[in-house]
Amino acid sequence: MKRSVTNIKIFFEGAILSYRALFLWLRPATYIASKILAPLTMMIFFVFIGAYASGSNDASFYVIGNALIFAASSGIFGVTMSIGGERWSGTLPYLFGSPANRMAIFVGRAFMHILDGMLGVFIGFGWGILLFELDLSQTHLIPLLLTILITTYSTAGLGLLMGCVGLITRNVMLVNNTVFFSMLLFSGANISLETLPKWMQVVSRYFPLTRGIASTRLVVAGAGINEILSLLVEEFLIGLIFTLVGFFLFSIFEKQAKKLGTLEIF
Amino acid sequence: MVKKIKGILRVIRMSFEIELRQNLTDGFVLFGIVIQPLIVAFTALWMLKDKGPDYAIFIVVGSAMTGLWTALLFNSGNSIIGERWAGTLETLVGTPSSLRVIVFGKVLANITQSLLSMIGCYTLISLVMGYPLTLSRPIFFLISILLTVFAFVGFGVIIASLFILIPDFQRLQNTLEFPVYILCGFLFPIALLPGWTTPISYILSPYWAARALHGSALGALEINQIYISWVMLIFFSAVYIIGSSALYRLVLKRARVDATLNTTG
Repeated sequence: MKRSVTNIKIFFEGAILSYRALFLWLRPATYIASKILAPLTMMIFFVFIGAYASGSNDASFYVIGNALIFAASSGIFGVTMSIGGERWSGTLPYLFGSPANRMAIFVGRAFMHILDGMLGVFIGFGWGILLFELDLSQTHLIPLLLTILITTYSTAGLGLLMGCVGLITRNVMLVNNTVFFSMLLFSGANISLETLPKWMQVVSRYFPLTRGIASTRLVVAGAGINEILSLLVEEFLIGLIFTLVGFFLFSIFEKQAKKLGTLEIF
Repeated sequence: MVKKIKGILRVIRMSFEIELRQNLTDGFVLFGIVIQPLIVAFTALWMLKDKGPDYAIFIVVGSAMTGLWTALLFNSGNSIIGERWAGTLETLVGTPSSLRVIVFGKVLANITQSLLSMIGCYTLISLVMGYPLTLSRPIFFLISILLTVFAFVGFGVIIASLFILIPDFQRLQNTLEFPVYILCGFLFPIALLPGWTTPISYILSPYWAARALHGSALGALEINQIYISWVMLIFFSAVYIIGSSALYRLVLKRARVDATLNTTG
């Protein structure tokens, strides 16, 4: 019982401290710009390409897709930097030297970014309503919240895996940017998946976010929980698999780094 | 005078060479000039495919221009920030060579290197995906590319000075990336945007570069309209370069009077 309480404490303390370490040093204006304006500009870019392509004023397809991309932004960049940043800031040896539960440390790094990602999606929807007349009148709130939560979790799962990659490479920004931009292509955020070549449709099935975006579009169109349940279960499982693979790698890297003395070699 | 010009050219050449060598060790540079433009190109190609095969060249040019801007914003910006973190920024400012000339060489290296994004996009769309890519006015297109490099370097010299003067500017990189894609009409016409944004587009030299490149590649502009784009591009680039002298004087003031050049924010 005492151990469980300690692990929960480590989970939340690690979650909050690692999030503060990433953002607290920013000026409020800079933080707001990165959280509110940067996603908006990306949304505008793809919405206008979409409008140019279709000649239609109905931007909901692109607004929903790009709002969910904000979840991936926090999930991938935030989580990757939280894990990989330990190495850059020289705190990895202390972390690996501590007796703390590794799962609590590892998964805790994602917690705040899941909340942050959800906030990002809400901001995206807010911009959609304000600027692009996104219609949520048919939308059921609980299925929407559940979809956003699970989608953000699954992208954070991928972020945990990418964070582990960040522990063994100098080029973490190359890796996580490539993964993030690939999601723009493969997740169906801006392109209907059925119009993509078959091989891309197959790849998209293994990405987080794909089912989350599909589910959100259904919910916004008025679908209830029963109609999206299978999509959400699959999205959750994908996130879980990425988390477990990430944790497995984290454990291996820890053992290797301790054995070979390569904790801080870049 | 000749000796002075030779000296300036030597500084530009060395700054250019060192920047290229440093970029070779940075994987993120590869992302900015090759991977991201290719993903943008592929996404735009699929989104705009109903516009017909002629549009492939529009996408090649537009996506490559996103690569140019990303390279300018991130690689040139990070290069300046890198000097600050390495403690060499003050030394650079203290050399007898003008900092503006050194920055010019750095930006020129990044822009020249990022022309690879055009080759990458062309290869993907033409050879891999089999879209016909023909240039309506090849000579005008080549001249437009040369002027585009000039436009981006001029723009880059101004942007780089902001990285030096405002330590927090690096944290706005992500926020500044897409607005230029949007306002300069890289992948859709600015006519789709609200009217109040048009004057902003007009004072950005990359907008005129995009107009000249798209116009000469697609043949959508009359020759005199391409000439106008060139003139505007040259005019605004010259304004940036001349205007940047005031900003670089401010940089020197910060170094000599305020001693805050190495402040990291």
